[in-house]
Amino acid sequence: MDRIKKWAAKDSTLSALFVIFFVTAVSLRLVVGKTMYTPERLMLMGFQIPEFGLIALGMTFSFLLGGIDLSLVANANLSGIIGAYILTGIWMPGLSPEMSIVCGIVSALAAAVICGSLNGILIAKFSVPPMIATLSTMTFYNGVAMALTGGESIIGFPKAFTRFSTATLLGIPVLFVLFAIITAALGFLLSATGVGRKVYLYGENPVASRFSAIHNERLIIGIFTQNGFLAGLSGLAIVSRVTTAKVGYGDAYLVQAMLVAIIGGVSPSGGKGKISGVIIAIIIIQVLSSAFTIWQLSPYNRKLIWGFVLIFVIFMNHIIGLYGQRKEKTLKEK
Amino acid sequence: MRKRKVINRTEWFLIGIIFLYCAMVTLVNPAFLSFETLFDILRSSAVTTIMAAGIMVVIISGGIDVSFTAVALFGAYVTTKILTETSAAWMEHLGIAFLLSIFMGIIWGLLNAVIVHKLKLPAFIITLGTQNLIFGVMTTFIGSKTYGAAAIPKVFSRFASAQLFRIHTASGTIGVSSFVIPVAIVLALTWFIMYKTKMGRSIFALGNSESAAMRIGINPFRVRLFVYAYMGALAGVAGVVYVSQVRSMYPNALVGDELSVIAAAVIGGTKLSGGQGKLLGAFLGVLIVHLLNNTLIFLGLSSSWNDFFIGALMIVSVSVTAYQERLKNRKHFIFTE
Repeated sequence: MDRIKKWAAKDSTLSALFVIFFVTAVSLRLVVGKTMYTPERLMLMGFQIPEFGLIALGMTFSFLLGGIDLSLVANANLSGIIGAYILTGIWMPGLSPEMSIVCGIVSALAAAVICGSLNGILIAKFSVPPMIATLSTMTFYNGVAMALTGGESIIGFPKAFTRFSTATLLGIPVLFVLFAIITAALGFLLSATGVGRKVYLYGENPVASRFSAIHNERLIIGIFTQNGFLAGLSGLAIVSRVTTAKVGYGDAYLVQAMLVAIIGGVSPSGGKGKISGVIIAIIIIQVLSSAFTIWQLSPYNRKLIWGFVLIFVIFMNHIIGLYGQRKEKTLKEK
Repeated sequence: MRKRKVINRTEWFLIGIIFLYCAMVTLVNPAFLSFETLFDILRSSAVTTIMAAGIMVVIISGGIDVSFTAVALFGAYVTTKILTETSAAWMEHLGIAFLLSIFMGIIWGLLNAVIVHKLKLPAFIITLGTQNLIFGVMTTFIGSKTYGAAAIPKVFSRFASAQLFRIHTASGTIGVSSFVIPVAIVLALTWFIMYKTKMGRSIFALGNSESAAMRIGINPFRVRLFVYAYMGALAGVAGVVYVSQVRSMYPNALVGDELSVIAAAVIGGTKLSGGQGKLLGAFLGVLIVHLLNNTLIFLGLSSSWNDFFIGALMIVSVSVTAYQERLKNRKHFIFTE
């Protein structure tokens, strides 16, 4: 018991998240009943988590830098569409199925990386505030996707590609395994490498980081390019699951990704937050979202709930923050 | 102090773009250059102009609001519902409709202001939350029924077909829509508030530097309350104009258009980090966005290309503004990041 107490005291955000997770998971099991955690349902969650999980990870990194990346979903959409054009053989016809899959994936990721680095360049080299830069590029990427497709959906993917989204490895969805590996790598990057330290320092105080011999501009471009890559992967995952590509897929993920980052204890003003918190938040949101699907809530009801939860969580964080400040103050007075 | 120019560099640039673009469209399609097209664009851009004036004020104060389309929809939808379901004849009045919608807008705006001020988090995240919340409250608790052209209260359609005055040209008579009245009132009021009142100066001061504004005795909370409530009120006006214009009310209308309104303000030279912005610029921005929306088809491009051009213009305009600031800062060894 003492050990648990010690562990909980060490990281209060993480332990609070664990409690929230258990309470949600158990109460949903009680409310919904047996259908909540059937193996099929869990499998379905495993298929869906990578899609918005990758977006949420990108959002986490942009929050850690004290910025925000609004273009993630638009980027995912655009790169998914570019990949789709090659996969379906509309561009570069005559490739063998295997070659078209390789080319499609590579060019989708290349497009995503270019989009991501454009964000980075606007922010680092032109000093455009991140929110404004990504708001503009979000409009632009959506515009490019719209101009390419004219609002039509692209269909006719090779079977091997669409099967990828439902493939399993030892009973676990392949996409989920891939997602877990990426998350672990990003967690390692943040907690155990110099880049991670720089990200936290930049988020806390960018001017101090500039005068601590940290190459701010290179850091920003690097992280936003990485965000682009994550968005590209998410775009491919979406296309592979829904087997069509169209402008506007995954629009709800933007709010959900912000929600995940904020619930996970990542501060939008930068410098605070851990990947471990974000992982638990991703699972909480996915469990809730599955429950909504079981209850067959309309998109309208979902919007109400997500909006309310977002404001509520921000409010709770604020209260907790106030409490923490008061505690600090009394300590100092003593 | 440098004198404020009536038309600054950004605006001359925008006017140039508008002229060039119009010339290009006229070359391809001579039918474009007519009073009819002009009035058509003025009429169809009424809703955006009203909302753009509001968002410009919010952005100048250093904040942002993406919930205003939801507020406009809420105001319009609930007003339509009340007017269709009421039996009192005196309720069927345009003034009542505007008052109702403005009132609801102000309530939501005040809520936004309180949350943004008290929670001290990026206004974008908070208003994105309230956007979902407002939209959800409306569709869940009030209704998600569609009002068709027949179900819309008569006052709205009368307002839409009313004409301010007529102009006689060679090709016939063209009427100027009565939508010009709310637009003109909103623009004049916004201009008056921003340049002729203490509140206007406080808004500029707050957007430039919150701590400096507090030191000269400006209460940021009061300014924020005013700014977001004003945005809400204008959203309410825009909502009523919107119902009259499209003569139907879908529960999913308007929401999603907020970015193109913000784009219009930004293209017009409103600095998204606050403290800078002009009404004329915002109006020119709206004109450009609407020109692109309405006339790309003349150039043989489908309307799917809208966002492409608007996005590209936005990227150019924000990078130019930010880069100029960066150069100026670097010259004085000011580092903001």
